[in-house]
Amino acid sequence: MTDKDVFICRCEEITLAEIEQAIDEGFVTVNDVKRRTRAGMGLCQGRTCGKQIARIIAQKTGIPLESLLPGTTRSPVRTEKMEIFKGEQDV
Amino acid sequence: MEKREVVVIGAGPAGLSAAIEAASAGCRVLLIDENSKPGGQLFKQIHKFFGSKEHRAGTRGINIGKELLEEAERLKIEVWLNSEVCGIFEQRKIWIVKDKKKTILLEADRIILATGASENAVSFPGWHLPGVMGAGAAQTMINIHRVLPGKRVLMIGSGNVGVIVSYQLLQAGAEVVAVVEGAPRLGGYGVHTAKIRRAGVPFYVSHTVASAEGSDKVEKATIVQIDSSWKPVYNTEIELEVDTICIAAGLTPLAELAYLAGCEFTFTPALGGHVPWHNRQMRTNLEHLYIAGDISGVEEASTAMEEGRMAGLQAAASLGYIIEDRKMEKEKLIQARLDGLRSGFFGEKRMNAKNAIFSAGGSCHESK
Amino acid sequence: MFRIKHHPILGDVDENKEDDVLIYVDGKEYNVRRGEMIAAALMANGIRVFRKTIKHNLPRGIFCGIGRCTDCVMTVNGIPNVRTCVTPVEDGMKIETQKGSGEWGGLGGKA
Repeated sequence: MTDKDVFICRCEEITLAEIEQAIDEGFVTVNDVKRRTRAGMGLCQGRTCGKQIARIIAQKTGIPLESLLPGTTRSPVRTEKMEIFKGEQDV
Repeated sequence: MEKREVVVIGAGPAGLSAAIEAASAGCRVLLIDENSKPGGQLFKQIHKFFGSKEHRAGTRGINIGKELLEEAERLKIEVWLNSEVCGIFEQRKIWIVKDKKKTILLEADRIILATGASENAVSFPGWHLPGVMGAGAAQTMINIHRVLPGKRVLMIGSGNVGVIVSYQLLQAGAEVVAVVEGAPRLGGYGVHTAKIRRAGVPFYVSHTVASAEGSDKVEKATIVQIDSSWKPVYNTEIELEVDTICIAAGLTPLAELAYLAGCEFTFTPALGGHVPWHNRQMRTNLEHLYIAGDISGVEEASTAMEEGRMAGLQAAASLGYIIEDRKMEKEKLIQARLDGLRSGFFGEKRMNAKNAIFSAGGSCHESK
Repeated sequence: MFRIKHHPILGDVDENKEDDVLIYVDGKEYNVRRGEMIAAALMANGIRVFRKTIKHNLPRGIFCGIGRCTDCVMTVNGIPNVRTCVTPVEDGMKIETQKGSGEWGGLGGKA
């Protein structure tokens, strides 16, 4: 295993090489890398890899970390079974 | 729709303190936590806290936690456990899933987010193997569940968490094979660093973990020296026989709900990265939404409790439960304690970072 | 065994096992402490591999320990993707090493 084969997104098993390739193709936000590679789309929703991806983008492109916002957050922010929403009146 | 005056999300040190402060002022408070027990990460902190007497220095986190729970009980604060907040809509409506079964929408006059932080990851070849875990995960295992995550541990990071968890691993009966620090000098509290040094644990500064190996779990780790640009130095690898690798690389505020609610953010690396903008009163740019504890910038449990008190006080005052003079009096006391906690070598950096946030200003949007 | 029986600050663990519950991990019986988290019960019994990943079939276990990272998920009583670090054991619970994204009803579709 080389350093480039290291997983960055543990859930979707996306490697550093895949993320760097996406950045080379011009995907230079956390959201764009997510859409291109699926990094951050797994069960944990980017909680583990998001910050690392921002750092990789910053290192490769020179974009300051400050302007690399975390990926978009959407409800529900916890994993829930669809069936609990059945017949829901309130939401 | 059910209504509450103050809803506190997260029952760790900050959330408990906020709920206690608001409830003792007379507010109708609901405290929500997704876990089956309140206390957040306080109960795994079995070490004595630092600071002066009024900061509960010398008291172990676990005992402070017990006292907070007793106080919350005495005040008859309504607590919902196993309740996950899945979203915040229209600024004040909180979407909760209780026991993974029932969904509830609740309206709050004031919301206090005390959702804490999560551990940062460090990636290296083999870090997916069972046996590689956050230092906080190991701490939860030994001090809450009383189970050893492994017998021979490599600690990555010599900051406060790294040295405290190393020491607690020793107390729990594990062997700490080495503590590795990327920077050229050690970063954690002297007292714990000295304790593990005395126990014979070797420290490797200017080193990092190069890889973890094993067939289906960690059996070996390789560490390597790094130069000033963090590049590995040729032929300096050291192989260590370990079954556990703990990562102590700092924390990031858990601010999902603040994003959903529409908070403005600031970037403050010294406090963990992007944090919701807030003022000294712990109010965000949204008039009815307060934050406290690690979500407002990663500090310590002791500061989290004071911030919780501040948020609870301000939320109660904004609802008319505390007269202005009394509020100012209490605010001054809390602020003085916070200033005390943010002094000294470790505290000053945090103080400066906090002050930068406060003085950055933030537009306050009228809430609907 | 990985249980911490003696501790200089937390004291000794009560050895009373009357309150233990019985769980099944991949069909094998284990006596574990009532109310403890599944992950802790497994770790106490030396079980480290909780699942195999979807793409590369790689082993995973505990990582964050507080319900954030979802690395420790297993199939519990036929429900896949249960976070074992924040789910307490129950008497008679059937826990399976999860393969990939798991299957409802557990392996072979049996609940």
